[in-house]
Amino acid sequence: MHTGYLCLILHAHLPYVRHPEHENLLEERWLYEAITETYIPLINAFERLVGENIPFRLTMSLSPTLISMLTDGLLQERYIKHIDKLVELSGREVERTYNTAFQASALMYQNLFRRCRDTFYRYDRNLVQAFKKFQDAGRLEIITCGATHGFLPLILNKNAVRAQVNTAIELHTRHLGKRPEGIWLPECAYTPGIDAILKENGIKFFILDTHGILFASHRPRYGVYAPIFCPTGVAAFGRDTESSKQVWSSNEGYPGDFHYREFYRDIGYDLDYEYIKPYIHPDGIRIHTGVKYFRITGRTDHKEPYQPAAAIEKAATHAGNFMFNREVQAEYLSRLMDRPPVIVAPYDAELFGHWWFEGPQWLEFLIKKMNFDQKKILMITPGDYLKLHGCNQVATPCASSWGHKGYNEVWLCGKNDWIYRHLHAASDRMEWLAGQYYNADGARLRALNQAAREVLLAQSSDWAFIMNTGTMTDYAIRRTKTHLDNFIRLFNEIKEDRIDEGSLHYLESKNNIFPDIDFRSFAGKTA
Amino acid sequence: MTSFLPVLIGSALVLLLVLALFFRPALRTEKAKKPKVSGESPAFDEEYSVELAEPVRQNIIDTVPELPGSYGMDRLVLMIRDPYWLYSYWEVTATKMDEISGHLSPGLWESSRAVLRVYDVTGIDFDGHNAICSFDCSLGSPADEWYINVPSANRTYCVDLGRILPDGSFITILRSNMVTTPRDNLSDRFDEEWMWIEGLYFRQQMGVSSPLIIEELAERMGKLPLGISSPGFYNPHE
Repeated sequence: MHTGYLCLILHAHLPYVRHPEHENLLEERWLYEAITETYIPLINAFERLVGENIPFRLTMSLSPTLISMLTDGLLQERYIKHIDKLVELSGREVERTYNTAFQASALMYQNLFRRCRDTFYRYDRNLVQAFKKFQDAGRLEIITCGATHGFLPLILNKNAVRAQVNTAIELHTRHLGKRPEGIWLPECAYTPGIDAILKENGIKFFILDTHGILFASHRPRYGVYAPIFCPTGVAAFGRDTESSKQVWSSNEGYPGDFHYREFYRDIGYDLDYEYIKPYIHPDGIRIHTGVKYFRITGRTDHKEPYQPAAAIEKAATHAGNFMFNREVQAEYLSRLMDRPPVIVAPYDAELFGHWWFEGPQWLEFLIKKMNFDQKKILMITPGDYLKLHGCNQVATPCASSWGHKGYNEVWLCGKNDWIYRHLHAASDRMEWLAGQYYNADGARLRALNQAAREVLLAQSSDWAFIMNTGTMTDYAIRRTKTHLDNFIRLFNEIKEDRIDEGSLHYLESKNNIFPDIDFRSFAGKTA
Repeated sequence: MTSFLPVLIGSALVLLLVLALFFRPALRTEKAKKPKVSGESPAFDEEYSVELAEPVRQNIIDTVPELPGSYGMDRLVLMIRDPYWLYSYWEVTATKMDEISGHLSPGLWESSRAVLRVYDVTGIDFDGHNAICSFDCSLGSPADEWYINVPSANRTYCVDLGRILPDGSFITILRSNMVTTPRDNLSDRFDEEWMWIEGLYFRQQMGVSSPLIIEELAERMGKLPLGISSPGFYNPHE
């Protein structure tokens, strides 16, 4: 019998940033950076662990927008161009830094980028296949998310929420070979009633922020250390604050360690313009290349050279510290409970590698240490937990999110509230279309499916979030308005029976997410 | 039609190129920017993560479409921001407006004022007259949205958009949906229900109630750092 369970969850998501019409859009680089710095390093870590026969259980959510981009031919093609450039740059850097304090880092980057390219080709450019491999090997439990990461409680229209969930599950099942048992509610945003829609779709669990569980309708006997069942029977797991804080917090968290890599010193900004020009934006705009030679050093502008070996040492130390703290925590909690406590530690996957460069290594160390150095804590997934403990307290979780202040304010405030009157009108109209033209075929069927895609794309919580944070707001506003405008035009064309097949074809190729979408999910009838 | 598309796209691309060259920006050499960290919540800072590359201006010449100012439907929509704030927006069609002002004697509409009447309808089947209590928010004249400060968490609210006539009577123009504000604290309900789920949602309930460890856990729960992380980007609430 174990003292406790550790349930690590990595939420991997990027908004749909595929732009066939622009060759060098900066937003598309989000994907390429995340592939190079997060997804492939994680895949490589999992490969090594499997190779060394180390058992582990992790949960990952792959958002449908991310799956769609990772399996898209155009983006795969563009990623190869991107990584080829980086390999070339890192080669030049190895020469340039010869005999300097930066040489070790330069070699490390060259190695990293080459490995990325190899890995990318090895999975036939389709990284979803890599994650599926670990799922099929029993290492990963992969769960789904909202189709476009829509903030479900603010969508209001139940059938539009159904479409988010239903479309997500269909896409997930097609790429991962089996239906997901769980869902990562976008932004952990929940309001009572969503669980009923999840249940209709065979979803057995979701994750909430701490107060979503603690403030439930009935006081949860075990706090967040055991899931609760909604009255519908869908389980809700709550985030543990201690383990979150150790990794998230800018002040006390591991990623702020002075030995770790400094994110803000990038050769895209630091090096001579003529030298770096081929590797930044073709318009001459300086951007992050991903090659960064300094360590955090301290709360100062003066930065020391990064030393990869010292940073790896630190990652190992931090992994040990994390494990130790979980053991102490589980030991303490288990004295208060009649079953082992489950410590749920969810993180944005992109935190690992992209932001916290050493994150994937930390995770690998943690898994190894948990396997070799202790016996108290078992790594499990929420699905595993429910199989072990089928009896849980019943309570309705509290409406909540994991955003700033814990409720909806990040996505509903003075900077983004204007979107909802348009989004709601679009959802309601789409629902009407779905009912009215339920048996449509031919061009009308295509137009209805495209209209459904445009509504879903407009609903991404990312847009409201970006409008609020004040960076790249133009892009978020443009995306919201463009998808809504596309929808309105399609709505009118369908209603007035004058579908412009030329422009429909253009939209289908431009916003080509969810090839198998069924607009009827907006009618509330699931197949 | 379809055969024109490549030509159209081609010429659009040429135009884009020309414009791009024309607007080619001065070369930027500034350093990568680090967002300011807010010191507002000292104990638990949010996830300090600029997940994605810093934004840089680029020349996107795509036009941004304008969205309609109205959708030709009468609606008053109520949304939850947090336990103490609601947001509502509305649209009143000209038809509806005429219908209502037509019932009034001349001049009365002009001398009335617009309000949102907020009803607490927790636990009742609201019929327009049986609210537990209500209060009014006076609206600035051209408003079509409003943030409403409500007194209590975990209550159900409904809102009427209406006019108050000089004699004090209230006429409803539109009624909203109902919303229930989230809890902002631990529930006082200790009665426990447990559910056993095996296989495909087989359900059997058993009542368990023992005091156990609530006090000790509650102590741990006392201080709740909400929103330790915010997803994706650093959150600049300062």
